[in-house]
Parts: sequence; structure tokens; C-alpha cells
Amino acid sequence: MLVREMEARFGNKPGGYVWAFLDPAANVALLTLIFQAIARAPPLGTSFPLFFGTGYIGFQFYQAMATYLNGAVRANKSLLNYPNVAPVDTIVARYILQLVTTVAVAVVVMSVIIATMRVPPEISWPPIIEAAFIASILGLGVGLSNNVLFIKYPLYEKVYAIISRPIYLISGVFFLPDAIPHPYKDIVLLNPLIHVTMHFRTGFYDEYRALGLDINYAYGFAFLTFFFGMVLFSMSSAVLRNE
Amino acid sequence: MIRLEQATKFARTRGINKPIIERASLVLQRGKSIGLLGRNGAGKSTLLKLIAGTIRLDSGRIIRQGKISWPLGFAGSFQSTMTGEQNVRFVARIYGVDTRELIQYVEEFAELGPFFKAPVGTYSSGMKARLAFGLSMGVNFDYYLVDEITAVGDVNFKKKCRVVFESRLQESDVIMVSHSTTTIRDYCDCGVVLENGKLTYYDDIEDAISAHNRNMKER
Repeated sequence: MLVREMEARFGNKPGGYVWAFLDPAANVALLTLIFQAIARAPPLGTSFPLFFGTGYIGFQFYQAMATYLNGAVRANKSLLNYPNVAPVDTIVARYILQLVTTVAVAVVVMSVIIATMRVPPEISWPPIIEAAFIASILGLGVGLSNNVLFIKYPLYEKVYAIISRPIYLISGVFFLPDAIPHPYKDIVLLNPLIHVTMHFRTGFYDEYRALGLDINYAYGFAFLTFFFGMVLFSMSSAVLRNE
Repeated sequence: MIRLEQATKFARTRGINKPIIERASLVLQRGKSIGLLGRNGAGKSTLLKLIAGTIRLDSGRIIRQGKISWPLGFAGSFQSTMTGEQNVRFVARIYGVDTRELIQYVEEFAELGPFFKAPVGTYSSGMKARLAFGLSMGVNFDYYLVDEITAVGDVNFKKKCRVVFESRLQESDVIMVSHSTTTIRDYCDCGVVLENGKLTYYDDIEDAISAHNRNMKER
């Protein structure tokens, strides 16, 4: 299943794997260009690419995962005609492939950004790995649920497409919640993904204090979503097999 | 041997709740090929899927001994974005068969030429059926579940299919769904008639066919 997904994702278009790296690189470059024009310095440190890179990549561990998993069962519908292929196999294959891809992308893109800096930051791995792990579990939970819910409620799929887009804007990719004034800050902090990007950044900025960061909240949210997704997914195996 | 015990399955869609099989018990012994007869929409294909295990019973159980194929239908099991070759390779991996051998066998058998390396989505239905048939013959099963597939291709290809299929049936059995009584007669020894959620087993395929014809006349 894993090999089949790799062939489908990277084997069919020219360039293959390169596209996976170009997307985040282009995003970081674009953000840098825009914000360099309107602001003198990023909210943290002095490097725009590092600030947006840490935000965008941390966020991608969730976003790319959820997006890719949402179509897992549907994209492999006909292969479920084989009795020894189960719906959950498609999820597992895509989870592994996406996680490996995002990790590879993160390493390459961050290395390039850091190599261009005059004073390279001191990197602390535990929060980076932890944030990536939480984000991927959250993405897995959302993906599991959506595979079922998209089939059962086609309307929800439209709604999901609308609400999932602005999540990018409120997840701290290009701002710090620390800078937001009082009542709004608490609201922004309800979003578990903002804790992911904050935690991810603390691994790159040792001076960053990340006020309001509650990693247990992010853990709790991610695992509850994952649990909900698992229950829903395993209860709906009939729906998933013969839509 | 395949044994159904009190097997029950309902078809459910938007308020419809129709039994496909209800408390059906049946023993299918090794060494006999079975024709499955029933009117349109009776649930023959669903029954094949239940036996294969791609869908589950609502209650009761099915005991399977021996290697059972996936339901061989009109190419329903191919992923249209994958090439013919990739589809074959996928099956080789999930059934633990030697990949290179199977690809070689299917490539020769299906006679797809350069299309073997093109996405299945670009195939005609005849090409898909040829690929499907070649693929299933390339893997050894104790039971082949066949859903209206033997009538594919031109005369020459049909002849070739017949020869291969018959040699397979020396060691394997087939459970076949077909509306063509000639095909059923050719391949099957005994028959099962599915009507109103009930399965009736006939030791002689002729009895099954006449029972089926009687059912058809009634309504």
C-alpha cells in the first residue's frame, strides 16, 4: 500500500519528489517578500525566513497530513475490492508517507534557511519533535473522522473546505499570540494548532518564552480527536467499503 | 470448504431494508463447482462479496477453508489512475506472489501490448476484462469467485480463457454468477438458487436451472 501511494504521489509527474519541497519553499519566500515590505523586523529574532519557516513547517505537520488523509479511502476505493485490503490500511500508508515527507521537507528547508543566516540559531530538538508529533496525531484524527463524515454527509465536506482554509491564518504562522491584546489572546489560544507552532518555534528560538503555551492542552486535544476518529472509523467499516 | 451459518445480510439504503440473505445455512464442499442463480437484484454479487469477505454479515457467520479469490467482476478491482502493470504488482504484493513472474504472465496473457504500461482508466472495457481475467488466473486460489466475467473478448481470447480456466479447475473450484445458463452448465456441477433471501442448494446443476426458470415464470 505504501509503495502504491508513493508511486501515485511522486511517480506520475515530472519532478516527482521535488514538488514536495517547492511548495513550502515558495510559501516561505512569498511570506518573507510581503512582510519584508511592510515590517522592519519579524516578531521574533531578525530573520524573516526563519520566522515564517518555523511557523509554516510546524503548521504543515498538521495541515498536509489532514489534507492528504482526507482522501485516503476514496482514492483507493477500487482496491478495497480485495478482501485483504482494509480501509485502515490506506490511512496507515498515507500517514507514514506524509510524516516521512514532511520530516524530509522540514530538514531540507530549515537547513537551507539556517545556512543563509549569519548567526545560526541554537536548536533544541525535544520541543520540535514533540510539536511535530502532536500536529501529526491531530491531523490523523481529523483525517480518520473526515473519511467517514465526508461519505455520510456530503454537505459537511463543503463546510469543512470553507472552515479549514482560514485555520492557516489563525494558527500563528505569521504572528505570535504573545502580541495579541487581552480578551482576544485567550480566544486565539483555544486553537490547539497555535500551541503547535509556538512549541515548534521554541526549539529554534531559545530566547522565546511562548507565554500562554499549554502543551498538555495540545496533547489532550490531539489525542481526543485521534480517539474519536478511531472509534468513528472502526464503527463505519461497512460505510467505507461500499459507499 | 465454505460454510454459511445462519447468515443474514440486509441491503440498506434510504429507508429500504431488504434482506439479501436471511438465516441462510449452506455447506459448499471442495471439489464441486457451483453456479449461483437468481433474478436481477436478488443479491448474487453481494453474496459473492460476503463469501470473499469484502463486506460483512449483519449476523451469523461464514467459515472459510482454503484460499478464496476476490470477486472477479468486470474489472471492478482496478485503480484507474494506476497502470495495468502497477495494478498487477499491487496484487502480487498483497497476495504474496512473486512480482516479476506474475507481471510477465499477465502481460503475455492479456495481450495489451504497450497499454500494459498505461493507466487502467484509458482502457476499454474489453481490455480491462482481459487484464482482470489474466490477473486472476495468475494467482492460485482454491476457490475462484466469478461474477459474469467469462464472456470477454473476441472468439480467440475466449478460447484461450476457456483452456486456462479449465486447467485451473482441475485443482480449484469456482463459484460463478451468470445469467447465461449455457456458461453455468459448462463450468458448474451443482447450483444454488437465491430467491427472497433464501438459498436453496441443488446437487445437480440442471435441477437448479429448472428451479430458477420456474421462479422467473412466476413473476
